[in-house]
Amino acid sequence: MAILVIDDSADDQLLLRSFLQREGYDDVLLAGSSSVAFDYLGMTDQESKAAAIDLILMDIVMPDINGIELCRLLMKDKRFSNIPVIMVTAHANDRNLQAAFEAGAVDFIHKPINRIELIARVRSSLNLKYETDKRVQREKELIESTHKLNRANQKLRYLSYVDELTTIANRRYFDEFLAKEWNRASRQQKPLSLIMIDIDFFKNYNDTYGHTQGDECLSQVARTLSGMLKRPGDFVARYGGEEFVAVLPDTGLHGAEKVAESLRANVQALDIEHESSPIEKVVTISLGVSSAGPAPHSEPDLIVTQSDKALYRAKQEGRNRVVVHRHE
Amino acid sequence: METDYGRVVVHIDPDIEDLIPGFLENRQKDITTVTEALRTEDYETIQRMGHTMKGAGGGYGFDEITDIGSRMEAAAQDKDNDAILRQVRALSDYLEHVVIVYDE
Repeated sequence: MAILVIDDSADDQLLLRSFLQREGYDDVLLAGSSSVAFDYLGMTDQESKAAAIDLILMDIVMPDINGIELCRLLMKDKRFSNIPVIMVTAHANDRNLQAAFEAGAVDFIHKPINRIELIARVRSSLNLKYETDKRVQREKELIESTHKLNRANQKLRYLSYVDELTTIANRRYFDEFLAKEWNRASRQQKPLSLIMIDIDFFKNYNDTYGHTQGDECLSQVARTLSGMLKRPGDFVARYGGEEFVAVLPDTGLHGAEKVAESLRANVQALDIEHESSPIEKVVTISLGVSSAGPAPHSEPDLIVTQSDKALYRAKQEGRNRVVVHRHE
Repeated sequence: METDYGRVVVHIDPDIEDLIPGFLENRQKDITTVTEALRTEDYETIQRMGHTMKGAGGGYGFDEITDIGSRMEAAAQDKDNDAILRQVRALSDYLEHVVIVYDE
C-alpha cells in the first residue's frame, strides 16, 4: 500500500510523509516533478514494474506540468484510473476546485496542511480503494468460477453423450437427437432415413477371439461407420452391444439404401478375420433401412421399428446384406 | 502571536522535530533567493516562493510564515517592490526571534 506524493516543494513533501508515516502509512513515495511521478507509476516504460500505488496526493502548481492536467492523464489510463487522487494545494479557489474534480480528483486538501484533516481524508480514500479492489477481485473470481463451471458442464454433457468404448455417440444421444431431427424434418417437409446395423455372429467372434479383441473389433467398425457419414447432420450412434444406428436427415429411401450398401462393403473390406463366421471369413454387418416424410406432431418410433424389422429380415435372408423397408 | 520578552514563541508538533532545522534553513535560503530576484525584478520567482511559503509554513506550525508568504505572493503579483521587501524583512526578523517549544 504505497502513497505517492507529487509536489515540487521539498518542505511539503517531507511534511506529508512525516504525517503519513506517523499514521502507519510507511510506504510514501516522493516525486518533485511529473517525470519522477511517471517513473514511479511505470508510465514511461511499459515493461518496468509499477509500484503498487493506492493513493496520490498531488499539488496543482508544479514547474513542468499542471496538476490538473496530470490528473486527467492518469484518469485516461486504465492502469491508473482506479487510483484515488487527492489535490493538496494552496491554490484553493473555486475555479481550481471545479477543474480538479472534473479532471477526476476525489478530494481536496488546503495548504497549509491540517494534519487531522489530511489523515481523515487519506484514510477514507484508502478504505474506498481497498473495498473497490476487493470487489474487483471477487468479480474476477466469480467470472473464473463461472467459466470453470461452464467447462465442467460441457464436459459432463459430452461424457453423457459419448459411448466410452467406441467414442461415437451413445444411445442417449441418439434418442435426443433423433427426436430433434424428426421435428426439423417435419417442419421443413423433408424426408428422414434410419439405418439399423448389427455385426454378424458377434457372439461367436467374442467366444473365438476373446472380449478384448471383441472390443477392438467394435471400435474399428464404429470408426469405419462414422468415417463414412461425414455429411453435417448425419450421425451414427452405438445402439446396443453390437448394434449401431445411423440417422440421415434430408435423405430419402433410395439415397439411404445406397449409403447402407457402401457401409456394408466398407466393413467387409476391413478384412477383420472372423474364423467362426459361417458366411464369410471376415467380419460383416447386416443393415435395415427405413425412411419417412415425417407428419407433423408424429413420433419417430415407427421409423425405428421399421428399420429394426428390415434388419431382422436381413439376418433371416443370410446376413451381410442391406434390406429396405418398403411400404406396402 | 505569543511573545515572551520580545521573542516569538511557537508550539510545534514534537513528531516533526527532525524536519524543523531543514525547514528553517530553507527559509533562510528563500530570503537570499527573493532578495536576488528582487534585484532582477523576477516577480515570477518571488510569487512562486511566496506561494510555497504560504503552503508550507502553517503545516509545520509556523502560521506567521504562511501569512508572510501570502503577503509576499500578493506583493509580487502587484509588482510592489516595497511590499516585497517588507515581507523579506519580516521573515528575517521572525527567523531570528522565533522560539520553538515542542509540545502538542
